[in-house]
Amino acid sequence: MRVLARMAAGALALVALAAATPADSPVNVPEPDGLWTGPQRGYTPATLEGATVIDGKRLAAMMPDKPVLLDVVVADRKPANFPADRPWLPTHRSIPGAVWMPGAGVAPLAPEREALFFRRVEELTGGDTSKAIVTFCRPECWGSWNAGRRLALRGYSNVHWFPEGVEGWQDDHDTAVVKPDPAWAALAPIEPER
Amino acid sequence: MTYAALALGLSLAASLVGGAAQAAGASDSDSERDARWKEIATSIFKDRAIQPTETLVKVEAPKRAEDAALVPITLTMPEKDKIKAVHLVIDDNPSPYAAHFSFGPAADPGELKLRVRVNNYTNVHAVAETKDGGLFEATKFVKASGGCSAPMGMSDEEAMKGMGDMRMKFAGEAQPGKPVEATLMIRHPNFSGMQMNQLTRDYTPARYINKLTVDYGTKNVFVMDGDISIASNPVINFAFLPEGKGPIKVTATDNQGGRWEHSFTAPTASN
Repeated sequence: MRVLARMAAGALALVALAAATPADSPVNVPEPDGLWTGPQRGYTPATLEGATVIDGKRLAAMMPDKPVLLDVVVADRKPANFPADRPWLPTHRSIPGAVWMPGAGVAPLAPEREALFFRRVEELTGGDTSKAIVTFCRPECWGSWNAGRRLALRGYSNVHWFPEGVEGWQDDHDTAVVKPDPAWAALAPIEPER
Repeated sequence: MTYAALALGLSLAASLVGGAAQAAGASDSDSERDARWKEIATSIFKDRAIQPTETLVKVEAPKRAEDAALVPITLTMPEKDKIKAVHLVIDDNPSPYAAHFSFGPAADPGELKLRVRVNNYTNVHAVAETKDGGLFEATKFVKASGGCSAPMGMSDEEAMKGMGDMRMKFAGEAQPGKPVEATLMIRHPNFSGMQMNQLTRDYTPARYINKLTVDYGTKNVFVMDGDISIASNPVINFAFLPEGKGPIKVTATDNQGGRWEHSFTAPTASN
C-alpha cells in the first residue's frame, strides 16, 4: 500500500461510503485543465470530463463486448546500480486482452510518442471513434486519467476510465502476463516515471 | 499465445487484432505462473531438479498483506537436521531472488522469519536445499502490490539515520540441547532503487544489505545473501544452538560498500 493511502486510511473509509463513483481519493481533487503534468502517483479526481468513470463490476459487464483495453502502467525501472549477476526479470500482469503502452499517460509526451499513441488507438478501434475504450493503470495513478482525457479531447466519444486499475481487477478476476505493445516498445527509450 | 498473435497482427487489419486479444482465460493464469516459476528457477538453479515437498519446507505469509512493503514471511523446516540452506523467491517481483540463507553448525534451521517487499499478487516460493544436495519447493500465493516502489514516507537522509545500528533480542532462557530463538533488527533503509523521492522526483539509488553473517563464537549460524526485495529496517528471526562459547557476532555489508559489525552476549545454558 502506498504511503499516502496509509496516512489517509481512515478518511478513505468515510469517503468510500459517500462517493457515488469508484474514486479512491480521500480528498476532493478537481479536474485539471487539459492534462495533469504533475507526478504520476497521487490522488486523482472522481470524474473525467468527456469520459465515463467505471468500477470493476461495470468493466466485467462490458467485457463480452470486447472494449479496447489500454493499460498505461509505467514499466518497472531497473535500478541504475543493480548488480549484473542477479536475475532482473520484470513481469507485468494486466487485464486479459489489454494492450500495454507503458507510460502512455505521462504528460507531456514527446510528440512522436503522442502521435504513436493516437495511431495505435486508431488501429485498435479500427478507426471507429465510438468504439468503447477503457483506460487504466493502478489506483492513485494519473496515467490512465491522462490517457482517457487525451482520447476524449481527440474526439473519441466512448471513453471509460477505470481508476481501480490492475489492482482493482485482480481482486475478483484473473490477470494475464502482458508484454509492452511492440510498436510502442520499439520507440525507445521509454520515459521514466516523473 | 494470444498476445504474440496481437503483436504479429500489428500491421494487419485492426479489427482482426481486437478479436484476438480477448481470449486469455482462467487456466492461462496458472500456466503462466508455472512458466514464470520455471524461468526463475532455471536462472537460479540451472538444470537442477526441484521436487515439491509437503514436509521439508513450508512458507507462511498473510494471504492479503496489509502493507506490501512489509510482508511477513515465515519459513519452517521441521526436519531441520537435513537442511543445509533455503532460498526465498518472490515470483512476480522484478528481482525475484529475495534471499538465500545457508546454515552453519551453530544453526537451528527449524524456523526463519523475515519481512519482504511484494510488487504484485504473486506466488512466493521457498526452496530448501538438503545436505545431500536435493532441492525441495513449497509455495504460497500472496495478495499485495506496490511494495517494491513504495516510498518510505521520509527523506533519504532521515531513512539512513543510524544506518547499520543493530539490536538482538533473545527469547527465554537457554537450556542444554534446546535451540534459542533470536531476533536481529538492523537499521538500514534497504532502498530498492525503484522508489521515487516524492519531492525531487528522482529515484533513490538501490542500497541494500547484500550479505549478512551471524556467527556464534567460532561457529557459523547462517549467512544470508540479500536483495532489494527485503523490507527496509530488516528484522530476522532465527534460532541457534546454545552450545557455543563467546558472543554472537553479526557482520552486515551493503552493495554500496557499507560494512557493520556488532557483537551480542548470548544466553548460555547453565548445567
